[in-house]
Amino acid sequence: MSRFAQRVTGFGPTIFSEMSRLAAEHHAVNLSQGFPDFDGPEPAKAAAIAAIQAGHNQYAQGIGHPGLRQAIAAHAARFYGQAVDPKTEVTVTAGATEALLAALLGLVDPGDEVIVFEPYFDCYVPDILMVGAVPRLVALRPTADPLNPLWTFDPAELAAAFNARTRLILVNTPHNPTGKVFTAEELGQIAALCQRWDVLALSDEVYEHLVYDGARHVRLATLPGMAARTITVSSHGKTFNFTGWKVGWSIAPADLSAAVRRAHQYITFCAPAPLQAGAAVSLSLEAAYFQALQAEYSRRRAFLLETLRAAGLRVGAPQGAYYLMADFAPLGFTGGDVAFCRWLTLEIGVAAIPASAMSPSATHWARFAFCKRLETLTAAAERLRRLRSA
Amino acid sequence: MPPRLARRVAGFGTTIFSEMSRLAAEHHAVNLGQGFPDFDGPEPVKAAAIAAIEAGQNQYALSMGQPALRQAIAAHAARFYGQSVDPETEITVTSGATETLFAAIQGLVDPGDEVIILEPFYDAYVPDVLMAGGVPRLVPCRPPAWTFDPAELAAAFNARTRLILVNTPHNPTGRVLDAAELGVIAALCQQWDVVAVSDEVYEHLVYDGVRHVRLATLPGMAARTVTVSSLGKTFSFTGWKIGWGLAPPALTSALRRAHQWITFATSTPMQAAAAVALGLDDEFYRSFADEFQARRDFLVQALRDAGLRVSVPQGTYFVLADFSELDHPALRGADDTTFCRWLTTDVGVAAIPPSAFFSEAHRGIPRQWARFAFCKRQATLERAAERLRHLHQHRR
Repeated sequence: MSRFAQRVTGFGPTIFSEMSRLAAEHHAVNLSQGFPDFDGPEPAKAAAIAAIQAGHNQYAQGIGHPGLRQAIAAHAARFYGQAVDPKTEVTVTAGATEALLAALLGLVDPGDEVIVFEPYFDCYVPDILMVGAVPRLVALRPTADPLNPLWTFDPAELAAAFNARTRLILVNTPHNPTGKVFTAEELGQIAALCQRWDVLALSDEVYEHLVYDGARHVRLATLPGMAARTITVSSHGKTFNFTGWKVGWSIAPADLSAAVRRAHQYITFCAPAPLQAGAAVSLSLEAAYFQALQAEYSRRRAFLLETLRAAGLRVGAPQGAYYLMADFAPLGFTGGDVAFCRWLTLEIGVAAIPASAMSPSATHWARFAFCKRLETLTAAAERLRRLRSA
Repeated sequence: MPPRLARRVAGFGTTIFSEMSRLAAEHHAVNLGQGFPDFDGPEPVKAAAIAAIEAGQNQYALSMGQPALRQAIAAHAARFYGQSVDPETEITVTSGATETLFAAIQGLVDPGDEVIILEPFYDAYVPDVLMAGGVPRLVPCRPPAWTFDPAELAAAFNARTRLILVNTPHNPTGRVLDAAELGVIAALCQQWDVVAVSDEVYEHLVYDGVRHVRLATLPGMAARTVTVSSLGKTFSFTGWKIGWGLAPPALTSALRRAHQWITFATSTPMQAAAAVALGLDDEFYRSFADEFQARRDFLVQALRDAGLRVSVPQGTYFVLADFSELDHPALRGADDTTFCRWLTTDVGVAAIPPSAFFSEAHRGIPRQWARFAFCKRQATLERAAERLRHLHQHRR
């Protein structure tokens, strides 16, 4: 009676829940889960509160509040020069997580192959399995640079993963956990393969505004030939520091949007109405907001980068997202990444995520999130200093 | 270009609700179609949501739900049904009851498993089963009693049956399943080792002293029932999208395994408010049911005055009305969809054709019925009544 469906049998609780619980139990500074310990912009909060007060508390339209869909289209035009029809090409969901699953349910058949880069955000492979598809993993590998290892893929390996059964490729740029911002050249290789094999691209760009050192985020859908075959996913949570509002969206041509909507209408039907009103205000904030966001995150990144390097870890300077991937091999710790992260939480008092949760072959890497107040990062730094002597 | 959508969604159209709401807007009709209130829920609940946003409860909640809300759900289950529920292992919070249903079915149903669904059914049930690769087995409830034939239900169970989807109080018939009906379902579940997913979102909307019985409280059912409910219907905040599932640990584990990848977590500030809502005193729950009973009585009378035959609901906020006594040129041979379109465009009141809640094979059963929602302000219902009055002259 209490057997699980096959599709969930292999799923354990996420490593994120597990590490957060461990961090709480041991009063560790939690740099594991990727959410800020501060709030987003006041105007968004004020707008959500005003919406609640004004009685915007019943079902939103299933496809999303019109004001928010318009704001999403305007944002796409403003930052990427995209022309997006808010009526037929934008779908609002309960976070980007739902948008990803809805796209896969709406577009991928059992037995289809889906290409995914590893390491990958933890829901990608379970999502692919839930729709009965077959994940084809293509590795991102760190360069050997002792000071600044960065992550790249082998174009030949990627090309070899495409075949007649390939339905879709899942791209994530800026990339969690490596911080890689796919270059125009790399995206061009992906685009060419998609067109050659007639494959769709599901592009998770939730960290689109978190790029550093002058790196530019390129939206895959804006490459020649890709608008017709790309579903772009983004969210309010990452760009505006409201991960708990669960407002995400997809942008795709009308026929692909129709597929996403058909699934979405039966997954959650709609996203929270008053929080959609808040999100619409966020997207319309002036350029200064986005500049300040990058400047603040740059400072946080520099601080944690310096801290981890000083503690003896090999860490690359990521161009995007809000994570650092740290190689702990130089510390001489040989017990594997899960053991390292537990030890770090219990003995040093800082929680991180073992990278093998996102890439089974990455056994000596840990992911640290820097989406935290400077006080939090300073507290982590004080504890991490002890690594040198440990 | 390959096919631009997956086979599993190829048969899904836009819902009749969206279509009728659009038609209602175009024709300035009073919208008694979609089931959401045109008023807000209790002030203390709104105040709690606002306070949570102001206090910075704006980042990811725990995937299974915030501790305070899970505790409030457990306390509510103990208070109203004497259930003893462990908030750590038996409760999961989701983005509305819609997600709970989807997650439970994803977590429990394998491709090829059969799922029994009583007709008429809420529109997500069949797509949910299809998206899990399951096979819907439909058992109709027929007028005038809108109940199922126990023999027909028994014949639907077999060794491939994995799950039965129950909905009480029932949308769209307004039936509150009685102890005998629930007993038949419970016995069959145990005979065939089947899990029940019981959608009880209208649990507090029962009238005339009728009592809602939670399926999970029947002997032998606690171990095999996933109870689904939500904030939206009981507290008139359908747009906040807070739902939950109560189930024994093994079934909860299946639900959570799916939920963590579907939405991962549910909006944090709305969960804080939901915890406050569930803790409201008995007076709230009493006056809530009283107010809806008054709305029901008003709409039932208006529909009768218009010349329709009404199946008086014991629960939910819907009324099914039979229009076969009306004689109008536009209605000769009209089925329920034609009637609802005409009512919207020509009379100015939008309703939902109940055939949308039946499978293709049984679509004829409600062909002379329409579903009206009464979760509306008195002023809205009065405007609808004025328009409906014009129908009277066409009475046979």
